[in-house]
Amino acid sequence: MIVSFNYRPRSSLIERLDPRARWIFSILVLFAITMFWDVRFLLFFLALTLGQYLLARLTWRETRRAWYFVFFIMTTMVVVNTLITSSGTIGAVLRGTHTVFFHQFTMPVTGWSWEINLTVERLWFAVTQVVRILSISALFLVIPFTMDPRQYGATFRGMGIPDRLAYTLDLAFRFVPTLGRDFQVTLDAQRARGYEVEKVEGGLLTQIRKMAPLVVPVTMNAILSGEDYANAMDLRCFGLHKRTWIERLAYHWPDYLWIGFGALLLLGSIALSLLGYGKFWVPQILLQ
Amino acid sequence: MEKKSLWSFGTREVVYAAIGAALYAVLSVATNFLQIPAAANVSIRPAVAIPMFFGLAFGPWVGLISGLVGNVISDLVSGYGFWPWWDLGNGLMGFVPGLIYLQMTDFRALSDIIKAEIMVVVGAAVGMFVASISEIWVSGVDFATSMATNFFPSFISNAINGLILVPILMVAYAAVRGRSGR
Amino acid sequence: MDKPENAWLEVEGLTFRYHTRQEPAIQDLSFDLQPGEVMLLAGASGCGKTTLMRCINGLIPKIYRGNLEGQVRVFGKRVNEMSMAELSQSVGTLLQDPERQIVGSYVLNEVAFGLENLGLPRGEILEKVDRTLEYLGISYLRDREVFNISGGEKQKIALAGILVMEPRILLLDEPLASLDPASSHEALQLFRRLADDGISVLLVEHRVDEVLAIQPERVLYLEQGKQVYFGDAQGLLDVVDYRRVKLPARAVLRRARDAEPPPELQPALPPRSAQPLIDFQGVSFRYRPELPDVLHEVNFQVHPGDVIAVLGANGAGKTTLVKHALGLLKPTRGQVLLEGKDTRKLTVAQAAHTLGYVFQSPTQMLYAPTVEEELAFGPRNLSHPPEQIRKDVRWAIQTVHLEPELKSPPLALSFGQQKRVSIAAVLAMRSRILMMDEPTAGQDYWNYRSFMDAILQMPGFEAILFITHDVDLAVIYANRILLVSNGRVAADGPPPEVLRDDERLRACRVLPTSLLELNLELLPQTGRFLRAEALAEYAG
Repeated sequence: MIVSFNYRPRSSLIERLDPRARWIFSILVLFAITMFWDVRFLLFFLALTLGQYLLARLTWRETRRAWYFVFFIMTTMVVVNTLITSSGTIGAVLRGTHTVFFHQFTMPVTGWSWEINLTVERLWFAVTQVVRILSISALFLVIPFTMDPRQYGATFRGMGIPDRLAYTLDLAFRFVPTLGRDFQVTLDAQRARGYEVEKVEGGLLTQIRKMAPLVVPVTMNAILSGEDYANAMDLRCFGLHKRTWIERLAYHWPDYLWIGFGALLLLGSIALSLLGYGKFWVPQILLQ
Repeated sequence: MEKKSLWSFGTREVVYAAIGAALYAVLSVATNFLQIPAAANVSIRPAVAIPMFFGLAFGPWVGLISGLVGNVISDLVSGYGFWPWWDLGNGLMGFVPGLIYLQMTDFRALSDIIKAEIMVVVGAAVGMFVASISEIWVSGVDFATSMATNFFPSFISNAINGLILVPILMVAYAAVRGRSGR
Repeated sequence: MDKPENAWLEVEGLTFRYHTRQEPAIQDLSFDLQPGEVMLLAGASGCGKTTLMRCINGLIPKIYRGNLEGQVRVFGKRVNEMSMAELSQSVGTLLQDPERQIVGSYVLNEVAFGLENLGLPRGEILEKVDRTLEYLGISYLRDREVFNISGGEKQKIALAGILVMEPRILLLDEPLASLDPASSHEALQLFRRLADDGISVLLVEHRVDEVLAIQPERVLYLEQGKQVYFGDAQGLLDVVDYRRVKLPARAVLRRARDAEPPPELQPALPPRSAQPLIDFQGVSFRYRPELPDVLHEVNFQVHPGDVIAVLGANGAGKTTLVKHALGLLKPTRGQVLLEGKDTRKLTVAQAAHTLGYVFQSPTQMLYAPTVEEELAFGPRNLSHPPEQIRKDVRWAIQTVHLEPELKSPPLALSFGQQKRVSIAAVLAMRSRILMMDEPTAGQDYWNYRSFMDAILQMPGFEAILFITHDVDLAVIYANRILLVSNGRVAADGPPPEVLRDDERLRACRVLPTSLLELNLELLPQTGRFLRAEALAEYAG
């Protein structure tokens, strides 16, 4: 099958926590991380989120693709930011004064010039960025592997989202395998008519237009089935009352502890940044 | 087919939002899986046309959820994690075209297709801009970098995919639409 | 007809027109449903059965707008004055396709859905769900994922999700459409049991033949929105057009005696010859190395002149088998030769030159803005020259009698027309072998018979192979039967030979029909299998 979820029970500590507690914790920590540009603080968070990653008992094999993806995006962003553009988010400090490498290109004819001025400060900023992106990635990478898809609806309902919206989530998860199978059927049906998706021909526009024989039947079929689903739901009183969710979630003391821990991290981070800590920091040794 | 209001969210909308989200996820995963050769650095991502089209056909909330939840699920299935700001950006790509939902009367008419195409481009621009700007806050890149590495590639690729596939879906939908009595 | 006071459902002079249409969908219907009875509602596509059901379950006028005249009363109350919550606990509706009404990912969530919406306490919901699952004998499915269970079980789960709300009237919309014969039989027995336990069942089905086996108390027959017959089952057999709905073979035989004998079907295939077109040599297959084999050592050939019906239960491996011929799946062991060439060495597109495969549902393949472009898609992929494509498209559209629709969007056509477009799309590729998966699915009796008649008389194919659940289709059209069971070919031969072995058929979950039984009885006189009308002249 083309589409399948990555979740499987792995009897890890992290799975015993209420999913709501985990979402809340993740969001709190995300905000906490974004307060810092000091690599010493960021390393603390990297240790924390990698710790969660390890506690979740994920293997390298499972997450390899995701990490490659993160590395790829991160590398392009950091390299482009460091080499090419001359200013940074956190202002002038990025320009730095300790040049390691300087070169000025001048475009022929136009006369536009473009300087590369690599300073210790900018290189160290790149290092800081990498630590920061990695800690956020490790924080969120865990979710698909350790959260049961059937709990998303009830989880978000439990976080105060209205019934209809929460049920939309449940329903979307319900449709994924069905539509995955439909896609496979349509792919086979078109291949039986000589359609070859792998064949390169024509330009970009032709290539995209070539997706129509796959996309149109799958989409229209899904839209046609939508009416039956809506009827079936109306006939069983969907949306008339506040509904009961048999998928029941209950907070236990570790959940409160987990949320409390997240809150403490965020409050602590806010306090530290108000006190002036956590700004961009370059080790003195490098500046000498 | 009776259209009520731009913002209603009843059973029908719940169903189509869920279908849109699942379709977005399935199409993105499936086209990744098929290894379709990319041309000229623009990736072939037919999935992005789904939230845009669902917005036009079923309203802004359906468009928003199709893109947002669809992106969440497709990242879940691929194991890519959870990236709230990109999810929001993809949602906006469906939300913005959804704003002209009430003006869409004949999905085959040239005038409606042109209106839709304009909204596709605006939606892709708004959605990808919001996501890229968030990258400044999260990753600490500067504006120019975020535009060069995040905004332009994703905007161009999404807009082109949408511009080509949305009209094709609209014409097909015009044919299907008469078959419902709802 | 007089209406006893205690009728659970009363319909009086009911007419309804959708606000999007000109003509009323149903006109002046009047009938009643008694406690604990099974009523069969028979009729071809477009007879108004879906609209009638919507009037009873409240979707009309709550969701679908239009002009409603007359009255529908459930337990003495008018439907349009009842709330959906009240209605759902009086009238339960099982829609045609179980797949398209299951909204929960897991069996437990699906069955609990309605009660969750009513806001019942969790404990009570779980208790009722467990009771309902036990009543239907499917407690073992409780914690399973819906996606991975069989069609027959899916239908039971959908039914459980309705029964759990304790309705006393049950509407069933073509519940047999997606089931194999053995599951249909089981489902019908279950519906009878529900009625015996005090639920009134209104069963919509055009396969009258099979439903009569559970002795419905009364039958309502509609034609184009009008009530043609309402009374006991026996009377129906004398009134209804036996070419429009499927009656028991003996009833057709009796009626056809006085009618013109039907024209003889003349298949347009070449005479049988020995050179195989497709050759399966010891084919075994598994989807992934760690999974068990789904095909075991399959050997058979398709020769020119063959009309092969592939019979077998759901999940027996029929579709897997057929996909091997086209190279959509490649054998794990053994080989498949298509005109002498190993399918492992052919791309699917190359195989498509020889073999046209029509999938079950036309909506899974139609995409183009006009029928003409749809038909040109295949030959264009096969790089046929443009002049030839133009000629073949014209020939294909004429063959399926859809010339006026050449410029219409295929997605706007009726289901039967779409099915013909999907056949024409394969015809236009000029393939030599035609393979069809459930060619009659979703079509009513009249449509599928004229459809199959037309295909067999179409010039251009050297062999035809179709997968079906419908034993009668095999009886009438095939000259060879491939009986598949658990990934093996259980029998292969001419229909009278394969279908005579009652025990083997039942072991393969294929059930003999009244037409088969009658044909076997008359075989000494006829020498071959015939349709019921044609048997009339042989019966004594």
